[in-house]
Amino acid sequence: MLRLCLRHSSRAASSLTCPRCQHHNVLQLSNINHTASTIQLPSYTLFRSLQTTPADSKDRISLRKQLKQDAKSSKAQKRQRREQEAASREKWELTVGVEIHAQLNTETKLFSRASTLSSEIPNSNVALFDLAFPGSQPEFQVATLLPALRAAIALNCEIQPVSRFDRKHYFYQDQPAGYQITQYYEPFARNGYIDLYKHDGIAAEDGDHIRVGIKQIQLEQDTAKSQEYPPSTQLLDFNRVSHPLIEIITLPQIHNPATAAALVRKVQSILQSCNSVTTGMELGGLRADINVSVRQRSEDLGAHQYGGIGGLGQRTEIKNLSSFKAVEDAIIAEKNRQVTVLESGGVIEGETRGWTIGSTETRKLRGKEGEVDYRYMPDPDILPLLIGEDLVAELAATLPTVPDTLLDMLVGPTYNLSIEDAKPLVDLEDGARLEYYQDVVDILRELQHDLPAKAQDDLGRVAGNWVLHELGGLLTKADLPWEAERVTSQSLAAIIDNLQRKKITGATAKQILGMLFDGDRRPVAQLLEEENLILRPLSREEYIALAEAAIELNPSMVEQIRSKNQLGKLGWFVGQMMRMGEKGRVEAQKAEAILKELIVS
Amino acid sequence: MSLLLEAERFVANQSSYLALNAFINNLCRSAGRWQDQVKDADLRWEQGNPRSKLDGRLIAFKDNICTRNLPTTCASKSLETFTSPFNATVVEQLENAGAILAGKTNLDEFGMGSHSVHSRFGPVKSARRGDDDAGYLSAGGSSGGSAVAVATDQCHSAIGTDTGGSVRLPAAFTGVVGFKPSYGLVSRWGVVAYANSLDTVGVLAKRASIIRDVFDILNQHDPRDPTSLPPASRSRVASKFETSQLSTRLKSSPLRIGVPIEYNISELAPPVRRAWYHSLEHMRQQGHTIHPVSLPMTKSALSAYYILAPAEASSNLAKYDGVRYGTPADGHIRDQDQTERYLYAKTRGEGFGYEVKRRIMLGAFSLSADAIDNYFLQAQRIRRLVRHDFDAVFRAEHPLTSISGVQQSDRTGVDVLICPTAPSPPPSISDLTNSNAVKSSLDAYVNDVFTVPASLAGLPAISVPVSGRSDGDGHADENLVGIQVVGQYGDDELVLKVAELLEGHGL
Repeated sequence: MLRLCLRHSSRAASSLTCPRCQHHNVLQLSNINHTASTIQLPSYTLFRSLQTTPADSKDRISLRKQLKQDAKSSKAQKRQRREQEAASREKWELTVGVEIHAQLNTETKLFSRASTLSSEIPNSNVALFDLAFPGSQPEFQVATLLPALRAAIALNCEIQPVSRFDRKHYFYQDQPAGYQITQYYEPFARNGYIDLYKHDGIAAEDGDHIRVGIKQIQLEQDTAKSQEYPPSTQLLDFNRVSHPLIEIITLPQIHNPATAAALVRKVQSILQSCNSVTTGMELGGLRADINVSVRQRSEDLGAHQYGGIGGLGQRTEIKNLSSFKAVEDAIIAEKNRQVTVLESGGVIEGETRGWTIGSTETRKLRGKEGEVDYRYMPDPDILPLLIGEDLVAELAATLPTVPDTLLDMLVGPTYNLSIEDAKPLVDLEDGARLEYYQDVVDILRELQHDLPAKAQDDLGRVAGNWVLHELGGLLTKADLPWEAERVTSQSLAAIIDNLQRKKITGATAKQILGMLFDGDRRPVAQLLEEENLILRPLSREEYIALAEAAIELNPSMVEQIRSKNQLGKLGWFVGQMMRMGEKGRVEAQKAEAILKELIVS
Repeated sequence: MSLLLEAERFVANQSSYLALNAFINNLCRSAGRWQDQVKDADLRWEQGNPRSKLDGRLIAFKDNICTRNLPTTCASKSLETFTSPFNATVVEQLENAGAILAGKTNLDEFGMGSHSVHSRFGPVKSARRGDDDAGYLSAGGSSGGSAVAVATDQCHSAIGTDTGGSVRLPAAFTGVVGFKPSYGLVSRWGVVAYANSLDTVGVLAKRASIIRDVFDILNQHDPRDPTSLPPASRSRVASKFETSQLSTRLKSSPLRIGVPIEYNISELAPPVRRAWYHSLEHMRQQGHTIHPVSLPMTKSALSAYYILAPAEASSNLAKYDGVRYGTPADGHIRDQDQTERYLYAKTRGEGFGYEVKRRIMLGAFSLSADAIDNYFLQAQRIRRLVRHDFDAVFRAEHPLTSISGVQQSDRTGVDVLICPTAPSPPPSISDLTNSNAVKSSLDAYVNDVFTVPASLAGLPAISVPVSGRSDGDGHADENLVGIQVVGQYGDDELVLKVAELLEGHGL
């Protein structure tokens, strides 16, 4: 069976014969040419190339000056683009519908017992039916339905008691049967919706909240992976073939690019929160196709209708977008292209287009004349899918809390977090960070039950800062993945508790956190004791002595602060005092107060 | 050593009848362990513990049924070199029962044809000769190889597939018995799909009793075939036919036999009409009653079949694209820029024969966005009406679609239908290949007019050889005509019993 991956096959993937342009980049070469000819070269590039020829010295402009000019003109360009955007938005209404393909978190393939584990060895997880062996038949794996149903319930869909599988025909080497099994005529879930809020990153024009309808969700097979070795070799790995996917189709109810990206992002986070998928877009677990149309607001409604929503302009489809940014950028580019075509008196063709990351334009993959007729046919071998209400009710009752509910809880009185801090807590590490945060808060509450109510109210916010920013900063700096055991919730709570009780300074708290992060295993109390870090407050006299010493060393700075009233520079003196004073004893607030007294007044 | 003698005679016949082209691969060409296997079976019989009634019997399989030990070509160039890594369930079942693979029989490519002439390996020829030295007669199709192998004693019995009559028509043309069971009773795992919703595995043999022996082994649920009838449904079907009214049929009460008036067409050849009449007369003499019935959708059924079957075929055959199955067309790598976009077209153009290409085109058309409403969906409607036609004439309700509990106690329908298998005797092969191709395609389709309705409805049907001679007219053997018995879904046992009543009574 390994032999299969070495099968030579011609690069049949020309834009005309490839109906989907997924999982391969055969068009890359022509695409690079394309971008090179249309990209706007920054002006300094031109200038520097001129410089290589002898030139008048008066024509020479310093690089610094040049860079400043560039920055200025790029700013101006951006402003102009923004204004054009605004003008175009006023005149043209953009309408977007999204189709998201998500790999389900299942043990087996959709129609065979072959494992879905990604394997190093190509073509090791394939059953006879996955390879479409003559005489083989599908065996629907009931368990694959569960993550699909969880997703559909989380997306507020109506689960259909009867649904069926259809064959979608097209020739491509990653498709062993010559057709994909999907649910075209009767999908298993319909009529859902997704709520998008400001904090989800929707466009300002959409206000605080919009709801986007979900037309349907269908179960279907994934394709094989092909790898190209030009000029004439393609390797095929069928491990991925027939991996269960769901395709989520929204109604064309999105009118801003940022909102479309927010929708895809939110769908991913919902699918992850209900354990329907294993990986997100970054690892190819999610892919999006986008339908884009525009119509002039002042004119009569357009003649086209999609998903029961009428009055739209002719749409185009952009295939296979693999990042949130690509979704947003591709929509902007395609909208602009359509507007340009229409404004110059042209007509939009219903066609399929592609997008390459970093590009500024979508590119035509195939037009209407090259459109594939998929010849959808009910699969005669697969029985209808009957889903009982009891199963749906059971799954709905045991579904994990959806992100929106978690957010509500975090910004509520229990935790008092800002939405900016609450969101990453929910999103990061599939909720592992949130769990850790909640542990820290619980322990802190226990430790601080003797403190006044005011301090306790603040506890959630303070802990959020330490979990996200201090600990998060260390992770980012060290480029390490999240690990709850690196600094235990117990230790972090102890650090915060000591800080809150003013037993240590902020600087000390960060220092201990760093030590623990780097592997110090001592309990916080012992560490503070042994390293002599517990705050012994300085007297006022000691502060004045320190401040005067610092001032004496830097008289010119003092002068600047006094003459130009540059109070910001006081902080620099605070730092000096901390460095000069005994480690861990200088409290920044007190030092600044003394400095103000001495320098300003 | 009687089994060994029998087997040796079959294998010897395989050699002497090579010219009939019944086999693509057989035992006389591939020296195998068959002799040892038969001897072992003989020993088991002597010791009184044979594996089954079929222990030690040589059974031939149509070459669209997967076997591990012999190639499975479907008589197509595209699968010329294909050997399946697994055995079809029916092969496993019969081998477990002690039967021995007698070879793989020739057929119309992928089962598409009515005369077994559309084969990569050349046409199958019937042992029966025409009166006027017109040469070999058609063996019928598409299981023509299986039928000829049985008719000329090259095997004990043979397995075929029947999608629209592919077992029954060859049985009728070669003078043997050919049985198509109810859809879903016999596993299709390992049977290369032509039109899944119609495909059934059938049995050909010289006598109905042999067919029953084979069918008894095959009539099992197979979890690997999603359309195989599960055990619960099987018992439900069985219990329907055990009701007091139906269980007495043929035992204490005579049968009500239906004669579909729409089948009495003017094109019916005289021997066929005579054989039909003889059969009905014979049944009447045994005390059964004859009743004219109407199946009004008969005429539309053939059209519906030739839309549905090619539609499914166009889908099923998409996999033979030269990447995994099928031999890639020559030169596509060498001459890449010019041909890459035509890789599939070229490979498939070279790999498939004329009739297969014709049906793929028909199917692709009737499924296309602009045509599906007028063709595919209409044909599906007709298919439902055909089923309704049959339900309306049978005394037994359809055991799976009828609402349980609502028993119509005084239904007056018939128990079985008796009608010809084909409207005319077999044509000569030279007639088929000489006349212009378009005409012969349509003519060939007409042969299926009486077999297709049972396929669309999934009903059990059997073709039995009955003499169509008029008094003092030639040899009985040369005037054998296929007479078909059709029963309600799941009434396979009754159909087999009626076949036994018809055969071998000097008719």
